[in-house]
Amino acid sequence: MRLAALLLAAGLAAGCAGMDAAMRTATSYASSKGLISESQAESLNKSETALRRGSQEISESEEYYIGRAVSAQILARYKPLDDARLNAYLQAVLQTVAGASDRPDTYRGYHVQVLDTDEVNAMSAPGGFVFVTKGLLKRVRSEDELACVLAHEVAHVSKKHGLKTIKASRLTQAFAILGTEAAKSYTPDQVARLTASFAGAIDDVVNDLVTKGYSRDKEYEADRFAAEYARAAGYDPDGLKSFLSRLESEPGAGGLFKTHPSPASRLARLGDLSAPPGYRRSSVRDRRFAAAMRF
Amino acid sequence: MSKRTRAAVLLALAALLPAAAAVAATITVLVHETKIRRRPQFYAPAVATARLGQTFSAQGPRDGWYRTAAGYIHASAVTAKKVRLSAGGAVAGDASADEITLAGKGFNEQVESSYAGKHPGANFAAVDAMERRTVSDGALRRFLETGGLLPDGGGK
Repeated sequence: MRLAALLLAAGLAAGCAGMDAAMRTATSYASSKGLISESQAESLNKSETALRRGSQEISESEEYYIGRAVSAQILARYKPLDDARLNAYLQAVLQTVAGASDRPDTYRGYHVQVLDTDEVNAMSAPGGFVFVTKGLLKRVRSEDELACVLAHEVAHVSKKHGLKTIKASRLTQAFAILGTEAAKSYTPDQVARLTASFAGAIDDVVNDLVTKGYSRDKEYEADRFAAEYARAAGYDPDGLKSFLSRLESEPGAGGLFKTHPSPASRLARLGDLSAPPGYRRSSVRDRRFAAAMRF
Repeated sequence: MSKRTRAAVLLALAALLPAAAAVAATITVLVHETKIRRRPQFYAPAVATARLGQTFSAQGPRDGWYRTAAGYIHASAVTAKKVRLSAGGAVAGDASADEITLAGKGFNEQVESSYAGKHPGANFAAVDAMERRTVSDGALRRFLETGGLLPDGGGK
């Protein structure tokens, strides 16, 4: 068994690209020398395949199920605001900026829910689930600003920031369960072990989203793409700056003040943002924004 | 070969380059469903709906869009990699690194159901309600149009 562990470690040390060949050579040699049986060699090769799968991307549908469970945990902590008009308006703005992004299609599309709390925050779960608090909406002054806020969340989804917080070991465990044979559905034991990996992955994402926040680099990247997506959708990306300037002048506690870099540092990295060609202010946008924000 | 003939051959080859660059690929839809659009723009009218697992012969992607005989599909909805459809849409354990498995494997409905049983506080009912909220293609176009968000001529 120690030899098996050493062979597996050798394969891992060779890195993903060279692991397959290195592992097969090592197991073949060990088998030919009688150090391990043929079945042990095959088993090790299968384990290697399973581990290698851990480095691959999570599928669209798996991302969707991770996003659903993360969202279910967020909605256990925050009460959803039952305001059909407001939620429908935000949904239209979200679909607009998501459509203009470099990832308009997720497994089941983008969806938004307003959270009934005065905390100032916005979050997104993998797969396209976006949350905005009532407290944040009270600080937004126009549809263009709102579009930039939602575009920031779309960028987190598009760049898969949530998925990147999942510890590699969770996926290694999950793929090790799946790696050896095909089946129509999972056995109770497989489901139990997959659920344990799944729960760990959900904890990883929720912890970063709600408690720690993403890394500063991910937030700056989301700002950069938010400006790009908003502009591609026909909005003025400068709305992101005006919103961040308001947060800077009216600071608060908790929420995004705890999980995001300071508004000043975010503003400093945005640089000049220009409105799209043919951009025009719109009284219709102003009116529908004002009508939806009556909550 | 005279200089003139050589120049003519080079010109002819140059003319062929764009066609050679637009290599056809088979793409497979990875999302539950996506719109096929008349033009490579998110606000262009939809001409059809493509569903999970459907395949198309396509050219591209160019600026994020594949061109098919039916219309344009965004690259984020598809893969040009070889797709493995396992029996029952479930596990395909030994797919090679450049193959991918379609929906059904790994973290799926069965796993979510098991997770929900162990985490009764998780509010999946609110997630279901959230997912029912969507703006139709037609309504979104009206939203863009009335809000002055379509470029000039974009509504045609």
